[in-house]
Amino acid sequence: MSSELEHLARGTAELIASADEREAEEAASRPDEPSLPPLEWLKVNLFSSVLNTVLTIVFGLAGVLAYQRLLNWAFSHEREWDAVRVNMRALFTFTYPSSQYGRIWVTLGIVLALAGLSLGLSRMVGQGFSLKRISTWCMAWGGAVIAGILLVQPHAKRSPDGEVLLDADFEPVRESFGTAMADRGWWWLVGVILFAVGLALWVVLGDVKRRTTFVGAVPFTLGVLAFAVSTLWWFHWGNYGQQGDIIEPGRTVKDSAKLPWTVMWLVLTGAYLLGQRLATTDRAGSIRVVVNFSWLLAPFITFWVILRDPQIDYAHVVSTDLPMALGFMIGGGAVLFFLTKPGVGEAGRIVGVGLFGLAIFNWVAAFFGVYPMLQKARISFLLLALVALAAHNFAGERSQRLRFVCAWAGVMAMLHYLVTMINAPSTVDAPDEFVGGFLVTVYIAVFTMIFSFPLGILLALGRTSTLPIFRVLSTIYIETVRGVPFITILFFFSTFLNIFLPDGMEIEQLAAAGLGFALFSAAYLAENIRGGLQAVRRGQYEASDALGLTTVQRTGFIVLPQALRVSIPPLVGATISTFKETSLLAIIGIIDFLRVANSVIPGQTVFLGVRMEGLLFVCMIYWIGAYGMSKFSQRLERHLGVGEH
Amino acid sequence: MSFSDATAAVSDELAARDDIIICDGVDKWYGDFQALNQVSANIKEQEVVVVLGPSGSGKSTWIRCINRLEQHQSGRIVVDGVELTNDTRNIEKIRSEVGMVFQQFNLFPHLSVVDNISLAPIWVRKRPRAEAERQARELLERVGIPEQAEKFPGQLSGGQQQRVAIARALAMEPRIMLFDEPTSALDPEMIKEVLDVMKELALGGMTMMVVTHEMGFAREVADRIIFMESGEIVEAGTPEHFFTNPQEDRTKLFLSQIL
Repeated sequence: MSSELEHLARGTAELIASADEREAEEAASRPDEPSLPPLEWLKVNLFSSVLNTVLTIVFGLAGVLAYQRLLNWAFSHEREWDAVRVNMRALFTFTYPSSQYGRIWVTLGIVLALAGLSLGLSRMVGQGFSLKRISTWCMAWGGAVIAGILLVQPHAKRSPDGEVLLDADFEPVRESFGTAMADRGWWWLVGVILFAVGLALWVVLGDVKRRTTFVGAVPFTLGVLAFAVSTLWWFHWGNYGQQGDIIEPGRTVKDSAKLPWTVMWLVLTGAYLLGQRLATTDRAGSIRVVVNFSWLLAPFITFWVILRDPQIDYAHVVSTDLPMALGFMIGGGAVLFFLTKPGVGEAGRIVGVGLFGLAIFNWVAAFFGVYPMLQKARISFLLLALVALAAHNFAGERSQRLRFVCAWAGVMAMLHYLVTMINAPSTVDAPDEFVGGFLVTVYIAVFTMIFSFPLGILLALGRTSTLPIFRVLSTIYIETVRGVPFITILFFFSTFLNIFLPDGMEIEQLAAAGLGFALFSAAYLAENIRGGLQAVRRGQYEASDALGLTTVQRTGFIVLPQALRVSIPPLVGATISTFKETSLLAIIGIIDFLRVANSVIPGQTVFLGVRMEGLLFVCMIYWIGAYGMSKFSQRLERHLGVGEH
Repeated sequence: MSFSDATAAVSDELAARDDIIICDGVDKWYGDFQALNQVSANIKEQEVVVVLGPSGSGKSTWIRCINRLEQHQSGRIVVDGVELTNDTRNIEKIRSEVGMVFQQFNLFPHLSVVDNISLAPIWVRKRPRAEAERQARELLERVGIPEQAEKFPGQLSGGQQQRVAIARALAMEPRIMLFDEPTSALDPEMIKEVLDVMKELALGGMTMMVVTHEMGFAREVADRIIFMESGEIVEAGTPEHFFTNPQEDRTKLFLSQIL
């Protein structure tokens, strides 16, 4: 199994490498267009004709007005931004106990370390930002800040006891314009510095240099992050609260967050540098495979092992878990080693089908209570049977067979380890669920992706299969799920799922909801992937057949890689929807990110009814996530050359 | 035209060899349309057969039946001693013995040239990867493009792609090669490079069935030419016989249009 994946990963890596070359060639052949002088640019782009001029003025004014409204709202003294600032921990982790907060940092550290490694190893990173672009950004942001300072109306005057002073028409009495401008000294500084830096870059460098000098996107982002983290050391970001209402006056964000965030930044940067180092070694290809597998495992490890801190029953581990895991690893491995022998022929088929029958009977027996068996044994048996049935496709020389067996043993070890962790009770004791807030949003989104992708692929293959039983079942499943509102499925899974499970198996509400998400999203993904499958030309099937590839090999090596490439845009679209749809968790009583902002914060005595600020903040975070994914997919598409043939 | 006529028209030297492909009364319908009508012909080992005919005459359908990309409905096709039936194991065995080159190349666009060639030897022939890749490079040398090994099909010209496709088919070390209009999708200046590779292959003793419109190639390389029209074999013979002294009116008409 590992060798196939390696093969695929290598194929993808080579594809990306070739895309790099292509991009470099394009960049070299692109005509070098000098930038227009500012006045010329305005004339060409904004005031080229009467209609263009009218449109520019009308929409420019509308934009300015909207900007002013937004700023007036955001910077009014009535806004209680403290509600967001103080509840930062509640928004992101809800009631996760602060004594155990180290676990959150470790989790974030793992994610950042992997992210850094991937970025360093990635060959998808392009030239980065040109200084021209950076200079334009600086000037634009500086200009926006200065315009904002001028546009926001002065604050209302207040009496000594904090009441807003009103005039005869019950309008607030405002400070003078001069005082207001003087009050905004820090903002002036920010705006002027930004604008000045941009202008200086523009003027000093000259046209050619600013267009041809590039700053890598990752170093640039790391620099911006370094600045943001450094503010924790010298800027007072205020206090934050714990457990709902209580605001601890002594504990400031600055004191408690500066060290962890600095460490996080160092982890990210260190991992990035390490990744870059590793990318130049001979083993870069295999390291990429390892990092990608780690991404797949990380959610399981961080969620069940780190955040929950399982209390393991070692007596049970020694008496049951360990022997069972070893049995499947060694016994199953031996069976698979036999089945991948070239020319094993009929005997292989009989063993495979026999195992499959046994695995199915295990599940039937579970429903009728014929004999007891641990659920993980049933799952392992089924997996073994499925792999055994497909094993002859991966027959080969001895080393290839050994790698196949090792991959199987690795999967079994991981599966049994995780199941043991999941079954052990959690030592992290928190009211209600032990995760909430943004954490639950992220985990549900990630688990949905991990489970719905393979399922979606299987459903798509089933629906396009020539075997009627698969085609009919897949079609029924897909059309049923797509014909039902998602909320129905969510209610169904959170309420009734336990009734349909085998004896002695129970599932928590959060897990049930996650399952609902995965099953729902798989139906939509399947349709996207089916589109990709139909885009694979008939000649590809014929060429694979003419070479004597089996159906499994044809699907895995030829058809799917091409179909998935074509499906990247819709697949990312589906992923973004899933990420946003996690907010529906609030409906079945799980306290996610949105619900903290919408119900929890306005319910606190200090911030009674303060809702808008939190919601705006939540919008921003969702937007950053969705926009990031969309950018990533654009980059991926460009590098895989989607739509270039 | 009967089975014996198509086979009889070979030289004595060829006639002494064993039959490697036997087609006996092969019929094939697409719905109501009969694409092949009682096609019977035996191909000898190491023989080069060029199949000619107007478009829609069933010549592509016929050679696609020989590795079962299309299924015939009646009659018998025996390839290298194995009869083509619905048994999948037979089909896979036949396909790994019969190489095929397509009009549209059908290279795998997501794999490099080397991977295109070595994929099937690794997974079907169960060869070690290193050996399969070495063999792939040798084959690229043989078809004259060793320097393109790491590129992707999209980066090659049509002629180069078709040569990679030939190398890919040869990597399975087939006993028979089928060519389905291998030069029809190529720009004129690239046709020669592909034909040269095919000539070399023919001289090396490969059994080949070639559907083509390249009369020069047919005249120079073929041991036998089979002319088809409306799904039937109209006439068969050596190139000399076929081009200088055709017997059937339909053949004469075809030749007068094409030459």
